[in-house]
Amino acid sequence: MRIELTVNERKVMLDVPPSETLLTSLRERLHLTGAKEACVEGECGACTVLLNGRPVDSCIYPTAASSETQITTVEGLRGTDGKLSPLQQAFVDHFAVQCGFCTPGLLMTLSALLANNPDPNRAEIQQAIVGNLCRCTGYVQVVEAVEAVVREAQR
Amino acid sequence: MTTEIGQSSVRSDAVTKTTGSAMFGTDIALPGMLHGRLLRSPVPAGRIVKLDLSQVVAAPGVHGVSTAADVPDRRSGLVLLDAPLFASDFVRYEGEPIAAVVAETRELANQALEFAVLEIEEIPSVTDIEAALAPDAPLVHPDWESFDTSPGMTWPRSGNVVAESFADPEGVEEAFEKAAYVVEDRFETGRQYQAYMEPRMAIAEFDGQRFTIHVAHQFPYNVRDRVAGALDLSPSQIRVIGHHIGGGFGAKLDTGLEPYAALLARQVGRPVRLANDRPEDLLTCQCRENAVIRIRTAVSEDGALLARDVEVLMDSGAHATDIPFLTSIPMHVFGSLYRIGPVRIKTRAIYTNTAPTGAFRGVNGTHLYFALERHMDHIANELGLDRLKYRRSSLQSDGAQLPTGQVLDDAGILSEAFDAIERKAPWAELGIGPNRGVGVAACMWLTNPMPGSVTLKLNSDGTLGVLTAATENGSGAIATGVRQIAAEEFGLSAEQVIVTMPDTDAAAFDAGSQGSRTTHIVGRAVHEAAVQVRARIFETAASLLEAAVEDLELADGAVVVVGTPTTRIPLADIAAAAQAAGGPISGSGSYTTPMPSVNPTCASGLLFPAFPTPTYHVHVAEVEVDPVTGGIRVLRYLVAQEVGRAINPQAIRGQIQGGVAQGLGYALWENLWIDEGRYMQRTFEAYGLPLATDIPEIEIVLLEHPDPAGPYGAKGVAEPPIIPVAAAIGNAVADAIGISINAVPITPERVLEALVDLR
Repeated sequence: MRIELTVNERKVMLDVPPSETLLTSLRERLHLTGAKEACVEGECGACTVLLNGRPVDSCIYPTAASSETQITTVEGLRGTDGKLSPLQQAFVDHFAVQCGFCTPGLLMTLSALLANNPDPNRAEIQQAIVGNLCRCTGYVQVVEAVEAVVREAQR
Repeated sequence: MTTEIGQSSVRSDAVTKTTGSAMFGTDIALPGMLHGRLLRSPVPAGRIVKLDLSQVVAAPGVHGVSTAADVPDRRSGLVLLDAPLFASDFVRYEGEPIAAVVAETRELANQALEFAVLEIEEIPSVTDIEAALAPDAPLVHPDWESFDTSPGMTWPRSGNVVAESFADPEGVEEAFEKAAYVVEDRFETGRQYQAYMEPRMAIAEFDGQRFTIHVAHQFPYNVRDRVAGALDLSPSQIRVIGHHIGGGFGAKLDTGLEPYAALLARQVGRPVRLANDRPEDLLTCQCRENAVIRIRTAVSEDGALLARDVEVLMDSGAHATDIPFLTSIPMHVFGSLYRIGPVRIKTRAIYTNTAPTGAFRGVNGTHLYFALERHMDHIANELGLDRLKYRRSSLQSDGAQLPTGQVLDDAGILSEAFDAIERKAPWAELGIGPNRGVGVAACMWLTNPMPGSVTLKLNSDGTLGVLTAATENGSGAIATGVRQIAAEEFGLSAEQVIVTMPDTDAAAFDAGSQGSRTTHIVGRAVHEAAVQVRARIFETAASLLEAAVEDLELADGAVVVVGTPTTRIPLADIAAAAQAAGGPISGSGSYTTPMPSVNPTCASGLLFPAFPTPTYHVHVAEVEVDPVTGGIRVLRYLVAQEVGRAINPQAIRGQIQGGVAQGLGYALWENLWIDEGRYMQRTFEAYGLPLATDIPEIEIVLLEHPDPAGPYGAKGVAEPPIIPVAAAIGNAVADAIGISINAVPITPERVLEALVDLR
């Protein structure tokens, strides 16, 4: 089926089988490999992208259902000047990254959180990422990175 | 001059990992790449009655199939050569490869496998380690006697016992006879899945002469050697290229899909990719082995530990993997923390019809220290003594001797670690209140000594290149540690150091990211290489500056004359001048830790004889148990960890926070429950990994006792934080509910069962 959608502010046309997942379309057709395939069950969040600003598990989301939507992947988080977003920079500065395989998914979920709630407390940040598994960090430095962004924005 | 050592310099890979541009193994795609899938055994034990792949071959998009008939009739392995590439007559665990198919896409490969005709007659299986020892138990490998071992390696083994280590020093029985108390416990621990986020994968190419294998692997040189062993090739026929690794935690040290990718690539003449889906990955991963541990200790009236008798049974699964090495570890654990008389230790690794187990961060230390430190609480309670005071009065000090004879020069650090925790959270103030409890556990652990190497080169722009086959598994050992050490050696900033990704054609041997070794070993190799490289730099600079070599120093990317900092020449100019004169500046260095001396006759089967570069750790946990649900909440968790010298404190903090999180998973939730040889969980969700809401912020004290042999004093850091966690939590839970649970994970069901028994 022919699908038109916007990915990282660029219009794209795809011709996909009805069962194809958004993750497969992004990774294999559009070569956006930032979103990761880790479980294909919608359990780990490594494939998270934003669909009209809302985080979705792209590994179980059919491309066919994303017609006319706005998709943002981790590759679309940088500003137009190429600079890292404040959240990306905070991940770098606060050691929120170890192996990095869950990082794109965490960044997408947390970008959506900050867009909806610019001043989340620690419990709200933790709750936001219960659908994003990270095996390396034990989550604390991830949460601290978000807190740093909030502090900076309030300055 | 800025110093990199002790700075929390950002990771070299942090930016590309946050922008999505970092290429992991699973992101690699080669032109013309095909996709392989494995036909795996659906049962734990059986005889293959029929295997017909003719319809698979004929299926759409299929390029080829492979079975045992297509490969050399040989078994291979890390130390015991007991694993065939494909099962041919019998299958020995659920998930064992039987055949491989290669097709245009993964989907077509999966669809083709649906046409495989496979008939297996189920046979009696052995799925319990204690049952496997019965005289009439079926043998997992009836032909076990025919298996070869790696050259020079021998150890006792027999039937379902794949490896045994036994120490029986004099005086054990006599001590038990005169003991005032004999304290005895039995512990049972679970099988933990490494649950790295990136499933295992491999891509292989064959150019008619040599193989290139793309991996996301902790130990590329082992991939090379193991693929050579499996396919009867010479190791140098294989080039292994490493990409970013989406977590490993030990599971990406042994070979996995690589030999199959190589086999299929040679067969079809195109690049072939294999990648596990998650259920397959979970099913076939070399998980942390489940174990049963029995300890009996003879104790005097005043609490002295007179002697000990330990029996450890480890579940090796259907193959040996690296488990024979691990049967030595109890010899380094059960006499390590507290003064004790002779210790008898019998450790056996047992074959069962389950997936082969293997290395997971902290290997069997997690369950050995769980047993040792739960048992220590039991002894203190038996004596009516405070658990902390009793430990402190029994602690080993400098010069203590392990049952192997290894001398721990600096065991007194243990006492300092207890002090550090006490200052941060006084023992008497913890675990107060209904259903609350506090637990303490310590450990001593090694820094893996295996060899590594680097080549350094001074680039024409004054930056430094570091060529190594060492891997960055996410720990930061390369992305921070090695890079900062290299920067420090040349007065550079970490950003001016570029470390290559591993390539076995280019870099000399490295033993992979295991046992906290990378910063210590590779950092020291950098130091060795830097001596030569600096000599060339100073020699070149001396002639350019018309100064004496001994008057020169490196600072801020230049060579300066000591005392006259304006007389300087940038490293870029030195690189250019040297290149034109004597040739480019480069130098190599290697290192492996000398093994501490031990008494070689202290035990049979001692394949891993010593614990070099030991570090010392104390953990304290405060928990609250919900008596209605049986759930356990961790209120506070404290770690005092000795690191030698902290090269990058924030990176170390990440290792401790993450390691403790994995330890909490092991202690409380994670286990592959086995029912008649089959795992009952197949997904992340069913398995139950810790979530962001489950893990408290770990309170950390770093202790620094620089190791003269380590780079700037650094010792291993990343592995130990997982080790004492189950012990500290188990002790806290027992304190909270007044009853011992001597099994991990300490699930709500086990807590409720214990509470019911109490009533």
